[in-house]
Amino acid sequence: MAALERAYRPKGISYRLDRWWRVAAPYTFISPFYLIFLAFGLLPIAFSLIVSLYDWNGITPGGFVGLDNYRVLLQDPEFYTALFNTVYVWLGSVPPMVLLALVFASILNSSLVRFRGLFRTVYFLPVVTSLVITGLIFSQLFSTSFGLVNSALAVFGLPPINWLSDPAWMKLTLILALLWRWTGNDMVIMLAGLQNIPGELYEAARVDGAGPLQSFFRITVPLMRPVILFDLIISTIGTFNLFAEPYVLFGPDGGMDEAGLVTGTLLYQNSFVYFKFGYGAAIAWVVALIIFALSMLQLKLGGREPD
Amino acid sequence: MATLGVRQARGAGGSVSLGEWIGRHLLQIVVYAILILFGMIFLLPFYWMVISSLRPMSEFYQFPIPLFPHHPSLENYRLLFERSLFGRGMLNSAFLSVVSVLLQVFFSALAGYTFAKLRFRGREPLFLGLLATMMIPMGVGMIPNYLIMAHIHWIDTYWPLILPPIANAFGIFWMRQYCLSVPNELLDAARIDGAGEFGIFWRVVLPIIQPAVASLAIFIFLSTWTDFLGPLVYLRSEQLYTVQLWLSVVARQGNVGQPAVVMAGSVLASIPIVILFATMQRRFIAGLTAGSIK
Repeated sequence: MAALERAYRPKGISYRLDRWWRVAAPYTFISPFYLIFLAFGLLPIAFSLIVSLYDWNGITPGGFVGLDNYRVLLQDPEFYTALFNTVYVWLGSVPPMVLLALVFASILNSSLVRFRGLFRTVYFLPVVTSLVITGLIFSQLFSTSFGLVNSALAVFGLPPINWLSDPAWMKLTLILALLWRWTGNDMVIMLAGLQNIPGELYEAARVDGAGPLQSFFRITVPLMRPVILFDLIISTIGTFNLFAEPYVLFGPDGGMDEAGLVTGTLLYQNSFVYFKFGYGAAIAWVVALIIFALSMLQLKLGGREPD
Repeated sequence: MATLGVRQARGAGGSVSLGEWIGRHLLQIVVYAILILFGMIFLLPFYWMVISSLRPMSEFYQFPIPLFPHHPSLENYRLLFERSLFGRGMLNSAFLSVVSVLLQVFFSALAGYTFAKLRFRGREPLFLGLLATMMIPMGVGMIPNYLIMAHIHWIDTYWPLILPPIANAFGIFWMRQYCLSVPNELLDAARIDGAGEFGIFWRVVLPIIQPAVASLAIFIFLSTWTDFLGPLVYLRSEQLYTVQLWLSVVARQGNVGQPAVVMAGSVLASIPIVILFATMQRRFIAGLTAGSIK
C-alpha cells in the first residue's frame, strides 16, 4: 500500500530524494576506491618526484637540489653493486624458473598422469609461505655450522661451504630460495594457459608421429608464448622488488662484501635506515624506469613472430 | 590432453610391439621419477622447519645432522613465548588480517557490483582508469606515503597498514567479473519490490557472490598475514609487532634467537595459512589464475 501511495505523489520529497539517490548511488559506491587511491596512491607518486629533487633527510625537507640525487646515484658504486646483484639473481632465477614451471605444468596438465592434484599442491605449497619464513628456513638449511646442506656435503666427504657469508655462494643460495618459493606460482599461471590449448592439436601431432618432446617444443612452447611472456615480466618485476628474502638471509646491509645487496635493499636502507628520503625517492624512480625498460624489451622481443 | 605424450595405446588398435611398450613405460617411469624427486625437494624445507623446531638444544649442533630428532620436545615453543611477545604478535596479525579482509572485501564487492550492474555516466572510463592503476609501480609511492603518515602522526599505528589497501583495484576487478553473471531479472525484481540501491547489494547480490567473496577473502588474509615491508616500515613499538616482524626480529636477537626457537615461530606462523590452504585450496588457486590471466 505504501509503495502505491508513494507512486501517486510524484512530487513528494521522498520521491525526489529517491531519484537523486538513484543517480548518486553508483558514484557513492565506487568513490572509496578513488578517494583512497588519490590520497595514498596517486598523490604520493607525484609527490615522490618532488621529494627526489630535494636534499630531504628526516621528516622535513632540506634545500632544492635539482637532479643532484640522480647524479650522485649514477656515480654511487653501491648502486651498481646492487644493480649487478639484482641482474645476476634475475638471470640466475627467472629463466630456469619459467622453464621448470612450463615443464611441470605440461606434465601436470596431462589427464594420464595420476595424482596430479597432489603434485600440484606440493609444488604450490611454498607459494603460500611467507617470504620471511622462506628466508628463515633457507638460512637454516644453508647454515655453515648446523645446516642440512653442509651436513649432506660432509657425508660425501666434502668440505663445508659458507653459503650465507661467502660472496661466491650467497647469490646461489638466494636463487635457490627464489626457485623454491616462486616456481609453483609460475606453474599455476602456466596451467591456466595450457587449458586454452585444444587437446586435438596434440592428438593430431601424435598421429603424425611426433614424440612428446617434439609436441612440447612445436606446440606447447609456441602457443604458450603470451603466457610465458607474462610470466617473464611479472618475474622480472618481482626480482627488482625483491626485499624480504635477502633481508632475512643476509641482513639489512646485504651481507659480506654486499654480495647480497639488491635494489630493494638499497632503497629500504637509504630511506628507512638512513632516512635519506630524497635519495631514496631517486632510487625508487630509477628502479621503476629499469623495470619498465626491461618489461618493454621483453614485450618487444617476445612479441615478435618466430621465423 | 597429453602434452608430454604420456599416453597409453587404448582399445582394439592398441597392439604394440615390445620395444614400443617399453619405450612408453620408460617415459612414464622417468616422468614419475622427476615428479617425485622434485616433490621431495619442494617438501624438504617444510619438513626441516618442523623437525628443527622439535629438536632440543642438546641435539642442535650434532654433525652430521640426524634426519629425526632423538628426543623431540616442545621446549623451543616454550622459550619462544617466554622470551618474546610472539603470542601477542599472532593476535595482532590476526586482528589486522581480519579487519583488512572485512574492509577490502566489502568495498571491493560494492564497487565491483556497481561497475557490473549499475548504469551511470562515465562508467567505462572510470573502470579503465581503475585497471590502469594496477600498472603503476607502487614502490615509488613508499617514501611519500611514509612522509604523509608521519605528518598526520600515523607512524606506529595500524592505520597505514589498514587504510591504503582498501583501494584494492584487483579486488574490484575480481568482484566485477563475478557480478557480471548475476541475472538482471533478480535485481529488477528487488527494485520493483521497493528495495533501495544499497539494500539490493546487501541482501540480494552479496549472498549470491559468496564464492567470489571467499576467494578474495583468502587472498587478502594471506597477503596481510604475510606482509613484511609494511609493518617493518610503519611499526615501532613491540606491542604492535605483527607475526612476520617478530620472526625477523627474533631471528636477530641473541638471547631468544636460537635457530630452533625461530623455527618454532615459523611453524606457528604457518598454521593459519596451512589451515586456510587445506580447506580452500581450489578456490585459492582459481583466484590466483583469474588474477593473472584475464
